[in-house]
Amino acid sequence: MTNATPDLKRESFEREALVHLDVLYRVALRLSGNPSDADDLVQETMLKAYRAWDQYEKGTNAKAWLLTILRHAFINEYRRRTRHPETVDLDKIEPYAVFPEVQDEDPQGAFFDRIVDDEVLRAIDQLPVAFRETLVLSDVEGMSYQEIAGILGIPVGTVKSRLFRARQLLQGKLYDYAVEMGYIKGSPA
Amino acid sequence: MNCRECVEHLYEFLDRELTPELEREIRDHLEDCPPCGEQYDFEELFLKFLRARCRTQGAPAELKKRVLRELFGE
Repeated sequence: MTNATPDLKRESFEREALVHLDVLYRVALRLSGNPSDADDLVQETMLKAYRAWDQYEKGTNAKAWLLTILRHAFINEYRRRTRHPETVDLDKIEPYAVFPEVQDEDPQGAFFDRIVDDEVLRAIDQLPVAFRETLVLSDVEGMSYQEIAGILGIPVGTVKSRLFRARQLLQGKLYDYAVEMGYIKGSPA
Repeated sequence: MNCRECVEHLYEFLDRELTPELEREIRDHLEDCPPCGEQYDFEELFLKFLRARCRTQGAPAELKKRVLRELFGE
């Protein structure tokens, strides 16, 4: 495909890359935290991807390839803008398991159903970025541990532990919110 | 397989990321252990809930136009 005519290049790019625009936008929105930055991030990703399209091996995993580009673009911009990048010590975060708390009152987790989209997204946006990106790639976009490890440049074991902790942390936030809203009684802290 | 091990691997089980042997051990344990079975149902529901709540949004039509314009001058 290296000598592809512009028409063929465009056609294969539309077929394999542009179809992932929704995925890229959702991930960009969760990473950057606002629609305007997400737009710019997706735009930049698509431009870079189109320029490098000859290097992408057609018919492999375009979604993972695009997300890798997007994530690099985000990290570069994030480092440039943030003079004091997030210094959360991930190992010091102690998520607690929600299930034992609700086991007697609501083992089916019916309280989740009362929590609206915006509240869930807000809770995700509060997670440390390393947890947030792992959770979004897995739980929103359905990527495998191996794919996520490739996109984030971390070992599969790290994906596994971050995902475990991210889910527990998010559950904890949503549970606290549900208690606060009176959706569930909860046990006294 | 005890309850602690089962709960430790529950997410990997739900994500279908375990070896076939370990997957079988977890499945057997879940069938024999109602509390772990309940936790499995809870975690499965949570993941479904998360996906449903977060996937409603797609790229705005304006962004798609902007990308096409930038790439192909349209």
